[in-house]
Amino acid sequence: MIASIDTVESGLAVCLLMTAIGCLFDRHLLRACWLLVLFALLMSAAWWYLNAPWLALVEVILGSALTGGGFIYVLRTLPSQRLSMPRYDRMRVEWPHRLTKGLLIIAWSIMLGVATQFLLPDMALSLTAHPLILSSVVIVSLGMGAFALHHHLMRRLMAFNVLGSGVFLMLAGMAGTSPSAQALITVGLLIAWLGSLLGVLLLRQLVHQEGSAALNDEYAPVRPPS
Amino acid sequence: MNAAWLPLTTLATSLFAAVIIFSLPEEARRVRTYINLLAAVAKILLVIVMVGRVSEGYEDTFSFQIVGGVDFVLRADALGVMFAGLSSLLWLCTTIYAIGYLEGAANRKRFFGFFSLCVTSTLGIALSGNLFTFLIFYEMLTLSTYPLVVHAGSAKALAAGRVYLRYTLTAGVVLLLGVVLLYSLTNDHSFASEQGLSPYLDDHRGLLTLIFALLVGGLAVKAAMVPLHGWLPRAMVAPAPVSALLHAVAVVKAGAFGILRVIYDLYGIELSVELGVTTVLAVAASITIIYGSLRAIAQEELKPRLAFSTISQVSYVVLGVSLFGPFGTIGALAHLLHQGLMKVTLFFCAGNYAEELGVHRLDEMDGAGKRMPLTSLAFTVGALGMIGLPPTAGFITKWYLGMGAIEADMYWVVAVLVASSTLNAIYFLPIVHRLWFREGPAHGKGQWPKEQPLGRLETHGWLLWPAVLTAVISIGAGLLAGLPFSPLDWATRVAVGEYLP
Amino acid sequence: MIWRFGLYDNTFDPLWMTDWAFAAVLLLPMVFGALGAVFRPSRLLPVALACLPILLAGGVMVLDYQQVGLLRWQWEVAGIELTLRLSGLSALMLLITQWTAAAVAVYTPGYLRLTLPNASVRWLWPLMGLLVSALSLIWLAADLLILYAALESMGLAAVGMLLLSGKSAALQAGMRYLLLALVGSLAFLLGVALLMSQWGTLDLIALEARVEPEPLTWVAAALIGAGLALKAALFPLHGWLTPVHENAWTPVSALHAALVIKASLYILMMLWGILLPETLFAPRLVAWLGMLAIVWGGLVAWRADSLKTLIASSTVGQLGYLMVAFPLVLGPNIAPLPLSLAWDGFWLHLMGHALAKAAMFMAAGNLIIATGESSLKALAGTSRRLPLSLLIFGMAAVTLMGLPPSAGFTAKWLLLQSMVLTQQWLAVAALLAGTLLTAAYVFRVFRYSFDETAPRHDYQPLAPGMDAVALCLAVAAFALGLLAHFPLGLLHGGGA
Repeated sequence: MIASIDTVESGLAVCLLMTAIGCLFDRHLLRACWLLVLFALLMSAAWWYLNAPWLALVEVILGSALTGGGFIYVLRTLPSQRLSMPRYDRMRVEWPHRLTKGLLIIAWSIMLGVATQFLLPDMALSLTAHPLILSSVVIVSLGMGAFALHHHLMRRLMAFNVLGSGVFLMLAGMAGTSPSAQALITVGLLIAWLGSLLGVLLLRQLVHQEGSAALNDEYAPVRPPS
Repeated sequence: MNAAWLPLTTLATSLFAAVIIFSLPEEARRVRTYINLLAAVAKILLVIVMVGRVSEGYEDTFSFQIVGGVDFVLRADALGVMFAGLSSLLWLCTTIYAIGYLEGAANRKRFFGFFSLCVTSTLGIALSGNLFTFLIFYEMLTLSTYPLVVHAGSAKALAAGRVYLRYTLTAGVVLLLGVVLLYSLTNDHSFASEQGLSPYLDDHRGLLTLIFALLVGGLAVKAAMVPLHGWLPRAMVAPAPVSALLHAVAVVKAGAFGILRVIYDLYGIELSVELGVTTVLAVAASITIIYGSLRAIAQEELKPRLAFSTISQVSYVVLGVSLFGPFGTIGALAHLLHQGLMKVTLFFCAGNYAEELGVHRLDEMDGAGKRMPLTSLAFTVGALGMIGLPPTAGFITKWYLGMGAIEADMYWVVAVLVASSTLNAIYFLPIVHRLWFREGPAHGKGQWPKEQPLGRLETHGWLLWPAVLTAVISIGAGLLAGLPFSPLDWATRVAVGEYLP
Repeated sequence: MIWRFGLYDNTFDPLWMTDWAFAAVLLLPMVFGALGAVFRPSRLLPVALACLPILLAGGVMVLDYQQVGLLRWQWEVAGIELTLRLSGLSALMLLITQWTAAAVAVYTPGYLRLTLPNASVRWLWPLMGLLVSALSLIWLAADLLILYAALESMGLAAVGMLLLSGKSAALQAGMRYLLLALVGSLAFLLGVALLMSQWGTLDLIALEARVEPEPLTWVAAALIGAGLALKAALFPLHGWLTPVHENAWTPVSALHAALVIKASLYILMMLWGILLPETLFAPRLVAWLGMLAIVWGGLVAWRADSLKTLIASSTVGQLGYLMVAFPLVLGPNIAPLPLSLAWDGFWLHLMGHALAKAAMFMAAGNLIIATGESSLKALAGTSRRLPLSLLIFGMAAVTLMGLPPSAGFTAKWLLLQSMVLTQQWLAVAALLAGTLLTAAYVFRVFRYSFDETAPRHDYQPLAPGMDAVALCLAVAAFALGLLAHFPLGLLHGGGA
């Protein structure tokens, strides 16, 4: 039934969007990680919905279990004997930074929406008919923005994961779920997982050595009194 | 039959010598000396063979393709063999001199290694069969002479090296641009081709003139023509063997030789006159001749005076090239050889004075004739040759140049020649006078700045005999100029080959 | 233009031996890398023995190519078509990759013995193996899926290798590189997605047949270009390159600067050749950026205080040469002669630069080990005590400066000829200015090394073979220049 399919899909899309926003903009890192796991599970549901069962399986394994697991593992093993809780991103973002990045996000999302709508006359799953794909565009913009905006490296890595998932969804929307597309997305998921793993291990080493979880030239580390 | 191995082996002797010297440790002095001398003698023998082949009419060629349409060509023709002969002979003398000069100095492995590479490059320039190969060796010459200039490692030497590079690398870039433009116009044009670039005259006059300006501009830096001569006086900070090599044999002559090749073998003399570039070149050469001499008079130290004298003298070659007619050509080519012999003698003697007596300034040279007679005799011979007194080789050159000027209806050139001879006398005769007719430390008046007796004779044998040898050869080049295989005879041969159809 | 990349149908099938060689080329590096993690070779000989079968396999493939022309392999796996091909260009790049990687691998045991690195050294060999396999796959790929997978694996392996030194500066630089590379790969993926959605295929030959110049293609090309430019450190997206090399191990730097960067450039050229064959604007933009890169890279290298910074900045400038050559190869109405000259010059420069950069990094590594410091001032007096390392540095620098008799000179010659024929005088000026700028910073190094007034005393002796390997690479760069006829013949197509 058309009405019920739309409802399921719309519900899925809304939930995806909300989990993405939560994951991207929550300062409590552990909570954000769990939201990421939830996001990944919802993504696999979306893949299931789009008739890509293999992709759903891969997403469950790689996206939620391994990636989310990796994040949480690293978070738990960050040194916690300092006064400032490392599991909370206390880094303040100044408003000029916020403004520029905010404008960037808006510009980017407009461009993206326009491009996809007008460039592709016949997408496999068009924007207007499938709210999932519409939400993917929004997720990509938000992910991009969060990636540019945040200083804390773990949040940037999580933003990258969300961004990646959004891109994969957009890809499915544009090209359909043919075997080639699924293969591409699988490779992308694999690389995203490996990259995130490398990133969080690197992050742990950085915190260990420098005491800061941001890149030096972007944010001066506030050394906790020890 | 083409003995392609001949030009290749001639280059290979010093290239292998360089490789072997670089792989030996610093302390292997004896072996290094043997290698150096062996390679130099081998090279002279091979060049003699080449001279024989050329006089029989062969032009041995070695070539292989580098990229489509561009070949690497080594050809032993009359002009090239002439320059090669000069280079190899003077390399032998300079090697012996350098072995003696650097006795007890540091970094000899580096010095002799790059020394050999320098001579490889010079011989490559001499034997190049087209402009592309010439360019390759021209740039290699820059790279291999840099470590020689900065050999001392002092701040002054490093600064001199920087200036040297600035001039020569920029010259290389300009030359490259000219060569690329030429190749885009004509494809690979061998030096041995008979017709020159005249077919392109009608459609591409402006472009040909531009290319000529770029080529000669790039070459003129090495040939130390004014105003591109700034690197040369500063390069005097290098050791005396290096100065001898740079000024008599390798760098400066390479520039002049390149100009010879461009005008005679690339463009052809008729085309050059047609384009009007020879007049400009003659004017530039004359300016350099006079300017160099004037600056030389103002110098108070021996080596800088000789440096400016070189600047002036090498432009004789360029002047002769720009005079249309066989006499000018003969004068230019003969002067290439004669000036090399005479200048190297003068630099050897300057080095001897510096090493044995610590004499650098002219006013310290009083009475050196008594203390170092053979050296001073050699110096006198060289100086008289520079001035152009008969029967020295220098006189022959100036005679032919004068005749060439008259033949080409450029009478003002004769005036330039006379003026420069006078100026040469003004800055050389006082030195000779000081050597022989003034009383100095050898007569009991005052002290030599830093005397260190280096040998049983007036100085170390390795330092003395090369100077004497080159002086004797330069006298011979003058006295025996009429004999076959003298520089004059060879120059005539080349000129005849150039002007006859 | 596409036939130059080998994107056409083959006439002959590969021999069975070539099939085995193909498998060996792709799998053996990873296998030996894994073995290296287990056994941790500390001598030169086992590493050299391990490299031998890989080099042999590469040689077999190239020989077969020379006899029969283009080779293709095609499979269908679960509804997905995978295509790989060996063209002349791929063969050349494969050879360069294998031999340079072999040289670096042979250099590494000596280096590790002298620098006594931390425990993470056991990751070096598998990552190196993965990198070489990924690179080989990139040269051989003929469809976008394999290309994407190989590109990403290569990127991750490169990041991993650069982090091994463990210093916090290295970690910071590596993190920045990782983040940028991941974002770049997403941009690349978006571009590929656009292409797939419109033209419905990932196979390069089919894509080339169907593609039409329209806004979608341009957007896709822009996204792909942005992603690849980030990975290839093309100006102005080059900021991550220098910090990353300052703190990495020498063999890693050598491999990265020589090969990893070039792979992204190769993919860029190939994909833009398919998508934008007749565009005017995009190649010109790249050329303008290339001119800026030449000037910028040269100036930064000139002012550098550390040897490795100098070499890394020089890479940015040298890539500028390649960028300036873009309009000569891609664009409307290019005459065949300049196109062919520029094509030859582009790849010759790429290969010469790969060899020379690896040699230069190795020589610099030797100098840094021997003097114990990485600054230029520490080089005073080295010309007397470490002449061989300096000589190798000089020979590699000759290639970078484009002076004869090196590959850089021959490549510059070809590019200049092409520029003169198409009357792009600004590009000529940029190329010649680049020569002088390169000479400025190279001879600045030599100025320090010839300085005799501040002698150092204790130099760490080097392991045998470290200098020899670097020397071989530098001499290879010279040979590539003088004997350019042979590799260019391979480039133009062999056999049937």
